[in-house]
Amino acid sequence: MNFFKRALLNIKAKKGRTFLLILVMSAIMLFVLAGLIIQNAATTAANDAKKSAGATVTLAANRDKAFSDMKASSSTKSKPSLNLAGVEVSTAKKIGVLSNVKSYSLTTSTTANASSFDAITTSDSSQGGMGGKEMKSAASTGDLTISGVSSTASALSSNGAKITKGRGLTASDLNTKNVVIETELASTNKISTGDTITMKSTSGTKYKVKVVGIYKASSTSSANGGGPGANDPSNTIYTAYTFANTLKGSKYKGTVDSVVYTLSNPAKSADFTKAAKKLINTSKFSMSTNDSTYQSMLTPLNNIKSFAQKIVILVAVAGTIILALIVILMIRERRYEIGVLLSLGEKRWKVIAQFFVEMFMVLIVSLVVAGVGGKFVGNVIGDQLISQQTTTATISSTSSDMQGGPGGNAEGGALSGTKGGPGGSVPSGTMGQATKSEKLKNLSTTVSVKDLVELGGMGLVIIFISIMLASFGILRLEPKKILIS
Amino acid sequence: MIEIKDIAYWYENKDNPLFENVNLVFEKGKSYAIVGRSGSGKTTFLSLIAGLDKPKSGEILYEGEAINRIGLTRYRNKDVSIVFQSYNLFTYMSALENLMTAMAITGASHSGDREYAIEMLKKVGIDEETAKKNVQHLSGGQQQRVAVVRTMCCDALLVVADEPTGNLDEANTKEIIELLQDLAKSQGKCVIIVTHEPDVAQMCDVQYVLKDRQFQMID
Ligand SMILES: Nc1ncnc2c1ncn2[C@@H]1O[C@H](COP(=O)(O)OP(=O)(O)OP(=O)(O)O)[C@@H](O)[C@H]1O
Ligand SMILES: [Mg+2]
Repeated sequence: MNFFKRALLNIKAKKGRTFLLILVMSAIMLFVLAGLIIQNAATTAANDAKKSAGATVTLAANRDKAFSDMKASSSTKSKPSLNLAGVEVSTAKKIGVLSNVKSYSLTTSTTANASSFDAITTSDSSQGGMGGKEMKSAASTGDLTISGVSSTASALSSNGAKITKGRGLTASDLNTKNVVIETELASTNKISTGDTITMKSTSGTKYKVKVVGIYKASSTSSANGGGPGANDPSNTIYTAYTFANTLKGSKYKGTVDSVVYTLSNPAKSADFTKAAKKLINTSKFSMSTNDSTYQSMLTPLNNIKSFAQKIVILVAVAGTIILALIVILMIRERRYEIGVLLSLGEKRWKVIAQFFVEMFMVLIVSLVVAGVGGKFVGNVIGDQLISQQTTTATISSTSSDMQGGPGGNAEGGALSGTKGGPGGSVPSGTMGQATKSEKLKNLSTTVSVKDLVELGGMGLVIIFISIMLASFGILRLEPKKILIS
Repeated sequence: MIEIKDIAYWYENKDNPLFENVNLVFEKGKSYAIVGRSGSGKTTFLSLIAGLDKPKSGEILYEGEAINRIGLTRYRNKDVSIVFQSYNLFTYMSALENLMTAMAITGASHSGDREYAIEMLKKVGIDEETAKKNVQHLSGGQQQRVAVVRTMCCDALLVVADEPTGNLDEANTKEIIELLQDLAKSQGKCVIIVTHEPDVAQMCDVQYVLKDRQFQMID
């Protein structure tokens, strides 16, 4: 262990050189640390994104199949009819207990007619004047849009609506005739919470329902257009899906139009879909995944991560080269000392070990310096990266927004439901903004013990390689050279 | 104890060796001087004896065993100690640390014994305070004395010195040579000194001159 003592003596005696080495080493370590911090921050942020932007999977009737069935039958029969199967509630519940499901909501929509009150009519309603077809559609469509849900919480927020009076519908409202109506509809008809109103199903049956809550629709939601045949968004009435089924007709009992599953880990949505498909008749039903929010958050984070990875590799390689050059020069300068050691019969590996110990001590000090300075540098570079990634984030979330756009009601709801942001109707720029601020918050650049340990490991590898490179000089050095100089 | 058997050495030109067919014996308890013109190959010869290089032909036996077989590193470590013209001390250490380090590396019997090292330095006129100063702050004569003390502290029986007094004044030269003589007389070591100073050579028991590729004894 004499080389250890020699290393100590050398470090102490050559203070100037030691200081310079620490300076260079600290700079290298600082850059590596900055890269590691950003890399780890991006990983953490990606994990957070998974949690906050959980993907949704919608289970509904297979429309493609239904359409092709309709076409096939239309060639033989005279009157084509689209036959969309309802999803069995029991099946929906079975899928709901699969792992990775955070929550799920059931939806049934239908229409009904106002009976004890008046529906809102829009002046430029497209209801009339559609020509000959008008008769048929009017026959099966009521003036109220009935949205049967398992709870109103996510349905309302996804449309940017808010409960203003009373309460929303929850699981306890299942099998009741409790409803939540829009504030416009309420004030026009002077209805308040607790009142009982009457509505009529499209088949003509009258139902007395109780208003338990009043909501205010988003001011922009009129642009949404809503479902087919619906006139004004204020005419949308929320009920439990069980009651919506009753309105729709007895053959819909125990089924819903669609089920939206919110997943806790969007990265594993494919596994979930696979497991769920085993429980359903895939020719009748389809499952569509919407993880565009997650993906839109993931892309810029992955960019940051791979960028940080490149920084780490680049700095490590550059650092190794720089350090190797310095060590080579240092060893050349110390040829005399090495010659003395060799003339005393010291083993070459112990000479190399001495240099290694010296560099190791320099590394320890540099790690402390880097640890202190790392937070600062990490923050500066992290901020810089985020401002650069903002553009990317906006672009990617804009494109995902456009993807989500044509998908219509269910998909739009799914997209914004988990984010709590505005729905698909909002201009895409706003969406990008929201996504960006989310990441800004998440990219926290702190120096953890894990970072420092990782950094120490990298530092060890760097000094090991550079000393190995420089050691060719020691291994080749003939001790005789110092005799004849 | 050291037997040179038919060795030859050349750098580039095989046809013009520095020396060839050299056969010599060096014994314990004696001091030897090697003189010769500059460039004749004295240092080269010494480096072969010190195990810093190998002869091109022939072999060197230490206590009957070829030093190649002992292993040059091990041979340098255990059997030989070297004094150079330029002192060859560790410049980042004090005189005391130099001795301690050398003893540790060679595994000398007094390894780790600071008191012993301080005593030995006192014997050559270096007090404890000076011994703890960085060696670069010592005079040339003092530094060379440290180098000689180092050979005393290490157990190696063979001591080779290349122009040990080349950088010293007359008084210091005398002292250093006396110390080296003492190594042979009282410690029973074999001391081989290369020098160009006739006075120094005169003080040794046996003198050789390297001339015309051969070592000739001077009477
Ligand atoms: N590494 C080498 N490569 C080639 N030639 C060398 C090398 N080292 C020494 N020489 C040559 O070998 C010859 C002997 O050199 P050496 O140093 O042994 O002489 P020396 O007798 O010690 O001389 P001096 O009294 O000046 O110290 C010289 O001519 C020198 O130029
Ligand atoms: Mg010489």
